[in-house]
Amino acid sequence: MSTFIRDFIEREKMNRRNFLLASAAGMGSLVIPSAFGFDRARAQLVDPQIAWSYRDRASPYWLAIVSGGETFVESIGRPRDSLVNLINEGSSEKSLADIVSFLQATGGNCAIACDANDSPNARPIVEAVAAAGAYISTIWNKTDDLHPWDFGDNYVSHMTWSDLKPSEDLARALFDAMGGEGGVVHIGGIPANNPAIERLQGLRNALVDYPNIELLDAQPGDWDTQKAADVMSQFLTRYGDQIKGVHCANDVMAYGALEAMRAEGISGIPVTAYDGNPEAVDLVMKGDLLGTCFTNPHWGGGITAALAYHAAIGTFKPSEEPPEHREFYGPTILITQADAENFKKEFIDATPTYDWTDFWGPTNGQIQYPASN
Amino acid sequence: MSTSASDTAAQGRVAMQQTRAFRRPSRETLIRWAPLLVLIALVVVFTAINPAFLSLRNFGRIAIASTPALMVAIGVTFIIVMGSIDLSMEGTIAVCACVFAYFFLSWGGTLLSTAWVAIPLTLLLGAVLGLLNGLVHVLLRIPSFMASLAMGFVGIGLAILITRGEKFLIEDEVFRGLVTYRVLGFPIMVYLALAALVVAWFIQSYTRLGRNFYAVGGGEELAHASGLDVRRVRVMGFMLAGVFYALAALFAVGRLGVAESVSGANFMFVSITSVVVGGVALWGGIGGVWNALVGVLIVNVINNGMVVIGLPDFLQDGVLGFLVIVAVVLSTDRRSVSFVK
Repeated sequence: MSTFIRDFIEREKMNRRNFLLASAAGMGSLVIPSAFGFDRARAQLVDPQIAWSYRDRASPYWLAIVSGGETFVESIGRPRDSLVNLINEGSSEKSLADIVSFLQATGGNCAIACDANDSPNARPIVEAVAAAGAYISTIWNKTDDLHPWDFGDNYVSHMTWSDLKPSEDLARALFDAMGGEGGVVHIGGIPANNPAIERLQGLRNALVDYPNIELLDAQPGDWDTQKAADVMSQFLTRYGDQIKGVHCANDVMAYGALEAMRAEGISGIPVTAYDGNPEAVDLVMKGDLLGTCFTNPHWGGGITAALAYHAAIGTFKPSEEPPEHREFYGPTILITQADAENFKKEFIDATPTYDWTDFWGPTNGQIQYPASN
Repeated sequence: MSTSASDTAAQGRVAMQQTRAFRRPSRETLIRWAPLLVLIALVVVFTAINPAFLSLRNFGRIAIASTPALMVAIGVTFIIVMGSIDLSMEGTIAVCACVFAYFFLSWGGTLLSTAWVAIPLTLLLGAVLGLLNGLVHVLLRIPSFMASLAMGFVGIGLAILITRGEKFLIEDEVFRGLVTYRVLGFPIMVYLALAALVVAWFIQSYTRLGRNFYAVGGGEELAHASGLDVRRVRVMGFMLAGVFYALAALFAVGRLGVAESVSGANFMFVSITSVVVGGVALWGGIGGVWNALVGVLIVNVINNGMVVIGLPDFLQDGVLGFLVIVAVVLSTDRRSVSFVK
């Protein structure tokens, strides 16, 4: 509850500040590279350095991204530690400053994979990279009006993940497990977060086809195990036996819901999660969770670096690729009990070997924007 | 603290004498009992809207949600009574939870093996972290607000280092019995928390250290002039708070079976709000662990009740804020305070 207010205020503050700083830096970066004599006309690079710019080292998600990046650089015959880590620690200013420094240090002879930390920050970063004649591929954060094809070859690609369809599929699996009738509750993320909105909408989309299922309540669990446990126990008081299924917006909140029911001695109510963390996969195998969804950050980390690198050395020419090869959705894999064991073998116990030149094979089509854009 | 604070303490004592003599309930007596009245009023209102609120099952749920927060609130009560503030709880809980889970799992993973040693070890660790916190505050002469906030960040960093972003899962049925095994409708952890509350009350009321907290909070210069080693009392207070944070960490892990670097998240807001709502004055010298109990229950009854009566989620933050202000207005005596900072 408090986190919502705090996060909101902080986000707003950050956004305003970042916008000002980023626009200042963006304008600066247009001037600086020419002053330092970067060669804008350079068509392709020879042996460019590779960097990953991302948030932090504390979460399993980013650790998986980086391991993918390192596996890729290994695949082109370089040591794993040759991948340069630009860690922004959640600061857009640092994200941009690190990239500008990296461009300076390499004289523009580099390929960068990047999550810009927040959407407005993507533009100054991409402009700085393009002005330096380097190559960049981004994931997650960019504004809807920023497109790779507006920057020739230097802004290679953008990948993001849509949660609507997987969340809807999980909801359908949940409704089927409930026998197509009864009440369902949803424990959501921080209300203003995009994934939280999409994951709830996915549930609502599935409801249309199940007239006997009633959405009893949807409350925010703020992506937090403890809060989710509290919310679940409150649902139990309000709805009691009416609850026949639980739809959670991520794995860690599903743990909270399961624990709240365990404390009451309740079992057998199907619960769905999202993210495909190893612990969640184990719970799916045990039958405690009905299903979860995996976005394969290892592959995402590797292929984003690979796209930037191969565009830089001229393996392919981005401007000759169709739009769905420049802006696309990343892969999502639904995990249910039927495939959890195979999934664990394939993705968790061992890391699969990927063909890092199969850039678009596992992707999920061109990014669609709301009609207003 | 200020002269006004010691006046307040003096008035508090007068109020206590009046209560003992069973005179007509004075304004002070009413204010003393206001938090409890607020709690009862909330229960009545929520029950009137949805009778399901007033059930043993739901009280069990509120009690489970309140247990870890109560330990944190008791810890920080000692500090607030001294007129200081401690914001290190989230970091301390995170470190204690992760260290506990790490050793519990590596020493056998069940309470029936030597892994039980992890419990006293965790309490000791809480004391050490509290001691460090107190020493940074007293020896480096940094205001407790800043010193403890900084130590809290250090704690969260440490917890990330220990876990490397992963989680520790504790599956041991015996340890998890804290929340799954029930007596008279309430899990074991609720009774253990009540026992800890009684110990805290004993420390507060019947030990020299406990009385010294009030002496420092009621008038630090006076206490110092009377020969009290105020710096020592402060350090001891932070150490004691650390032990209660460690208890909170154990209950939090027991409740969810997970220890991670965010195990302490949200406890700062909940505990300090609870303590103040319960009638402990932030300027020191007034209130105690029973106020902490009532405050924690008020906050958790509000949280539980809002969902149980079906308040839309976008209204909940606003309503919580509003009810907190109402509770503070009703349960603290602000007339005797010359200025609020």
